[in-house]
Amino acid sequence: MRLYKKAGNTLQILSFPSEDVEKGSYLLIEDLRAEKSMIAQVVDIQFANVPGVMEEFLREISAEDSMEGEDFDPLDVSSHILYIQDARILVCKIHGTLENGVLRFDGSWLPSRTHSRVRRLSVKRLVEMADVGRQLPIHIGETMDGSRLTIDASALDGKLNIITGKKGTGKSHFSKLLVLGLIDYGATVVVLDLNGEYVNLGLARDGSRNRYHERIMVLKPRENFKVALSQIDLSIILRILIHSLDLPGSSAREFRRIWRFLKEKGRLTLHDLGEAIKNWNCNVHVRDALYSRYHALLRSELFTDNLAEAVFLERLLGGMKRGGALIVDLSDTSPSDRRIVVEYMLGKIQEMLSQWRVRAVFLFAEEAHLYLRETYWDDIITRMRHFGLFTTFITNQPNTIRENIYRQADNIFLFNFVNDHDLEAISRAARTDAETVISIVRDLPPHHCLILGEAVKDFPIVVKVRPIDVQTMGHTRLFFDVERLSKAPRALINGSKALSR
Amino acid sequence: MIGQLEYATTLKYNFPNPPTVSTLKELQIPQRFIKLSLASMQSVKGRYLQIQSENLPTPIIAGDHSEIEEPIPMNISSVSARLMPLKPLQDETPIIAVDVSSVRLGETDVGILCAVRGAIVWSVQRKYGYLRIGPFPFHITEENSREVMSLLRFYRFFPSGLGSPRLEDMQVRLCNLVERWLQMSICSSSYGSIILWDGSLTAGTTDSPLTLIRRILEEAKNRLNTVLAFSKVTGIRVLGRRMTDLVLKYPPPCLFKMDELPHSTSGSLRLLGNVYIAKLAWGLSAFRLDIDRRVREEEGLRALRRLLGNDILYQGYPETLRLAHILSTFTASEVIGIQRFVAQRYNLRIVVRPSVRRTLFGPFGTRFEN
Repeated sequence: MRLYKKAGNTLQILSFPSEDVEKGSYLLIEDLRAEKSMIAQVVDIQFANVPGVMEEFLREISAEDSMEGEDFDPLDVSSHILYIQDARILVCKIHGTLENGVLRFDGSWLPSRTHSRVRRLSVKRLVEMADVGRQLPIHIGETMDGSRLTIDASALDGKLNIITGKKGTGKSHFSKLLVLGLIDYGATVVVLDLNGEYVNLGLARDGSRNRYHERIMVLKPRENFKVALSQIDLSIILRILIHSLDLPGSSAREFRRIWRFLKEKGRLTLHDLGEAIKNWNCNVHVRDALYSRYHALLRSELFTDNLAEAVFLERLLGGMKRGGALIVDLSDTSPSDRRIVVEYMLGKIQEMLSQWRVRAVFLFAEEAHLYLRETYWDDIITRMRHFGLFTTFITNQPNTIRENIYRQADNIFLFNFVNDHDLEAISRAARTDAETVISIVRDLPPHHCLILGEAVKDFPIVVKVRPIDVQTMGHTRLFFDVERLSKAPRALINGSKALSR
Repeated sequence: MIGQLEYATTLKYNFPNPPTVSTLKELQIPQRFIKLSLASMQSVKGRYLQIQSENLPTPIIAGDHSEIEEPIPMNISSVSARLMPLKPLQDETPIIAVDVSSVRLGETDVGILCAVRGAIVWSVQRKYGYLRIGPFPFHITEENSREVMSLLRFYRFFPSGLGSPRLEDMQVRLCNLVERWLQMSICSSSYGSIILWDGSLTAGTTDSPLTLIRRILEEAKNRLNTVLAFSKVTGIRVLGRRMTDLVLKYPPPCLFKMDELPHSTSGSLRLLGNVYIAKLAWGLSAFRLDIDRRVREEEGLRALRRLLGNDILYQGYPETLRLAHILSTFTASEVIGIQRFVAQRYNLRIVVRPSVRRTLFGPFGTRFEN
């Protein structure tokens, strides 16, 4: 390999096919005279503009089309000619400089073309140099050169993370891996599980209980997730009414009075709330508005007057001091009920965090745009972060996450995308340049992830995500399963095949 | 210990089964030629190879240079031409064409490094086949040029009376050696075929010794082959005008015979063929065509009619010969590939030689060098 060109932070390196380099590989350009090395990542591989190649191929095509022949080449010169024709240009992005064994994020110098030696830098060596994943390692999988990659759990601590990729590429699997990795280090995790994919995290693939079983708690609204009104702070119920059920401000003021009245009387029950609204002396429109919201709360079946069946989140989360995950299964919940549940959860978590009843919570939110109100996004990434709520968004629609969130994300875990609009959306990630993201992500195979950000010390690394021994439940339910396929009428299939022939 | 390169040379090459030219299977690769290539390359080991900085070398095509260097001497006023319309004759006569090209790869401190490659293309029932031979790299020095000459003389491809040519001319000599050898092999191994050469049947030059060309034509005639030699460039003029331009207005396919060209000149040149201007298809191209004088004119014309009936013509030029040219010539990427081959196999270090003209004059008068 030889250094050919440098323009901005892009290098072009001339390489031959025998040199084993692929997109995402790291190269070390060692300037032997300057005694320092440049670290660059291959973001694209192109054919070198070898003179005469077009002429050569035209000759071959015309020969292939119209005639058969042989070459008598006793010295095997042809292999060298073919080798030259396959010469490649590696388009690389500069990521840093290595000088006297010290890594610096500086690419402003120009290595010598004549005195530089270019060689592949193994990811193993790179992560050692960059001190990636040493303190609290979470084993993520294998890098392209087969070395084990771990990221630091502390790189997710206090951070905003995004996991995105098209359907079926392994986002949820990766997210589960992070959840379990955080649990291992005693973290408290809350998962807003839109499709019920995390509910079996405590079970191994064979259905037996795994080592996380005791640390996973699944809450399903209407079933085992109900709360008593007496447990709820007025601010939380108002957030639900205003943000989830769109209660106007004037009605909210009347509700506040009703709530305080009932609380003073010690009658904060569903029945008494309904009666109070019905008999409250107020504008008829306000009463109607409050009454319709009251029925929405009833219909959600999240609330109960029976303290025995009520869930005490403080106790649940407080009991996870050695690490655990609370899975909120939203799979069979209507969109409006989903918003009520999420509003309650976030309000309650914020309350506990502000009162230091929980140290910090790692929130994993799948397809958050389906239940998170508009103003919450900014709230989560700015204010709530300081309370100790560290969010990971998981989505297959990258354009549902706003640009400012991408810009503030500390870690981005990217799976494959091919759609240009999606690629454009993720290229806004501030942790690296758009060219690196678009070029590498487009060619990622399933279960391969490009990690950007703090977790990899800003050296984008491609990793093949390791399998985990849990029941994943992330598979799409299919109509044409094996059983149905075997029962399909043979005559119909054979008839269609015959027609297609 | 440094491994010594040893190539087991093939004595006989098995042609890829063109049934009607099956005798070509007996074509022999002269072992001495391959050995000479390998032996010459031994002297290049560990040296520096200087290559041109700006331009990749231009290949030399066997036959092309001789036309430029050795035009037909003739008395223009005595030439008259006879128009002969042609009618294609379609049968299954095999058409075989041969072309050879060489390229200079660079210079060492003691000599020049070049490569030679030949191509044979045949057409049977308009199905084409080819055999490419080479490339063979040669390091020609003052020391080993005598061995090259001895090889040329061994095959009687070089007049024995002449001294060794200049080093610069040795590339052309080697190119011709391969071409004559291929022509000889084809003429003596095929039967009842039309054999197409690139160039003319002018003999008596350094590259076309009279005895050799006569021997090849004789061999061809004995095996009922007809040699048709096409020249892309000709200096034949009638009344001051280029003959190939004069025939453009006549409908193809047609032939103009130059009746009164002398068989020989005061010098050593001999015209071993009848010279024609052939306009074989519509377009702007007409070519000089030489047909062996010792073949009866009717037979020669019949061979041309068979060519018209059994080969495709592109701009009036036989496709078989065009393909032979295309397959033998070197592209820029091939030159780089061969340079890599010699650099790796013979531990040759490649250095770029700057253009002296560009160094001295900058952009003035050097713009056409790029």
